[in-house]
Amino acid sequence: MIDLSSVPNIPPGFIYILGAVLLPLFGKGKVRQAYLIIIAVLGLISVAVMRAPQTSWVFSNLIFLEVDRLSLLMGYIFAIAGGCAIIYSLATVKDNGHHICALLYLGSAMGAVFAGDFFTLYIFWEIMAFTSLGLIWYEGSRRARDAGMRYILFHLFGGCALLGGIIFHYMSTGSTLIGPVEYGIGYWLLLLGVGVNTAFILLHTWLPDSYPKATIAGTIFLSIFTTKTGVYVLARTFSGAELPFHGQEFLFVAYIGGAMCIYGVIFAILQNDVRKLLSYHIVSQLGYMVAGVGMGAIGLGIMATEAQELAIDGAFAHLFNNLLFKSTLFMCMGAVIYRTGYNNLTDMGGLAKKMPITMITCVIAALSISGIIGFNGYISKGMVIHAAEMEELHLLVLILTLGSVGTLISFIKLTYFAFFSKNDEIKAKEAPVFMLIPMCATALMCIAIGVYPQLLYNILPYVEVTSHYHAFETGHTFSVLQIVLMTVFLFFMIGFFAPHEKITYDVDTLYRKVGRGFISACEGPLVHFAVAMEKQVLRLADYLVKFSQNPRRETRLGIGAGVLFVLLFFALYLIIMLYAGWLSP
Amino acid sequence: MEKKTWKGLLLLVAFIVIVLSAGSLLVGHSETFAGFLYGAGGVALFMLLAKMMTLIQREGKQDD
Repeated sequence: MIDLSSVPNIPPGFIYILGAVLLPLFGKGKVRQAYLIIIAVLGLISVAVMRAPQTSWVFSNLIFLEVDRLSLLMGYIFAIAGGCAIIYSLATVKDNGHHICALLYLGSAMGAVFAGDFFTLYIFWEIMAFTSLGLIWYEGSRRARDAGMRYILFHLFGGCALLGGIIFHYMSTGSTLIGPVEYGIGYWLLLLGVGVNTAFILLHTWLPDSYPKATIAGTIFLSIFTTKTGVYVLARTFSGAELPFHGQEFLFVAYIGGAMCIYGVIFAILQNDVRKLLSYHIVSQLGYMVAGVGMGAIGLGIMATEAQELAIDGAFAHLFNNLLFKSTLFMCMGAVIYRTGYNNLTDMGGLAKKMPITMITCVIAALSISGIIGFNGYISKGMVIHAAEMEELHLLVLILTLGSVGTLISFIKLTYFAFFSKNDEIKAKEAPVFMLIPMCATALMCIAIGVYPQLLYNILPYVEVTSHYHAFETGHTFSVLQIVLMTVFLFFMIGFFAPHEKITYDVDTLYRKVGRGFISACEGPLVHFAVAMEKQVLRLADYLVKFSQNPRRETRLGIGAGVLFVLLFFALYLIIMLYAGWLSP
Repeated sequence: MEKKTWKGLLLLVAFIVIVLSAGSLLVGHSETFAGFLYGAGGVALFMLLAKMMTLIQREGKQDD
């Protein structure tokens, strides 16, 4: 029997990246399918055999493998969700390029999670941005191309802010190790850079803009990695971040999470495009994670309280669960779009009988994200809200609770109008088997964790604190049951939230207007400059052509002027030599 | 009984439940039935917000 602990750990990211490099060797048929499944399994095994804690694969100042309970948790869920997304993509993706982008994206996200220093993190952060762009552009339409451009512009801006923050942090501390950041310009630049990937309000618009326009399989990958890596880095750097406010310390990151929760939900409720609805729900669910991270305390050099440890565990439990139910939802809606060709709820309905397995998995995921008892969302949402109660953040408790009501409303809307409302005209059949397998697997995990939460507790960073948390405490369970009953009842009685064909403006409308104004303001002078330059270059080229044909005729300079030019160049040469010290013996 | 009457009766029941929950919270200082209030309050809040958002909506297919 091989002792696995004696085998040196390989960074999981490298497996996916190497897998992407070798992919073209396997053609486009069944061999490629088998190869991709093997890569997914190998990635999962590489995480499963990882020893924690450890620091290895260190080259100069770059640390490629820093493992602790938190990074290991991220590794597990990225390998599971990424593996499911790879299998799902076998049903729809034909191009090798798409698979390569997906594997590189997965690999770079893994690389960012296991990075031990800011520069390694930055390298993988940027690879993530460009490889994920491929998943949007592979859709091929003009909408996707434009959305991809906006996506990459946002991420380049975020990447620049992150790099600036890292440089300032390095200049002030001399350390590149990932950890809490000192207050100053670097602090705000880093927060801005991380905030773009975590989809903070006002920095979130790239997400609902681009995710619905990516390929069907691409959206699954996109929904898994970018934002969750952002939350992970946020926890490493800004956990428990405070600002002075009216003479008191204010947990501003936690309240940013609260704002994201409500903002995402209200925009989700108003959407008609199913993938746009789900994209806004990513923002909302990230709100719970950001709130948990904001209430916690990682690496601050202080003894964390029980509430702070529960908050971090709650945030990462929700991240884990969210990746299960959110990827299930995206997979289900991807299957619906694949079979019907429709994106909007107003065109759907009547699919429950035609796509029964898809319907069942979608309902399970919807119940999970809505925090219904017996499903995984109930466990992790409850942990975050309970941590807020323990820290006596009453406003945050209210916001997060109301956010869960909004989530329930939008998922009753999604499942009812996609599957159960009357539509006799729609034509569809059950999704292909490669779509069904990962959908069923993630849906089953939602139930397993919901019924037996110890499965999740055991891999959380603060297992001792969380093992004392009673998810099924009578008062909490009863309260959630009441919320669900009242919300479901009012949803169907009032009938207010039916889908409609209207466009809802988000703040990106403003950005686009300002952007267009800026471009048109710059356009005049720039075009003028470009025309003048072109004219001069053409004149020079024309002169050189004529000069080469007959140098004597085209030389208009006198002999004296020519000598003067030669002397001037010689003087300039001497000055440079003198300045550079090349003349000294 | 007509569908509308049923709907009206059910809404009346919901209203009574909300009033009793609010009474229990405000008079009895008991949070046992506060979940009903959160549910009703949440639905009301999102209806209000959705109504407000119609100010920044325009007709047409959802696209760019």
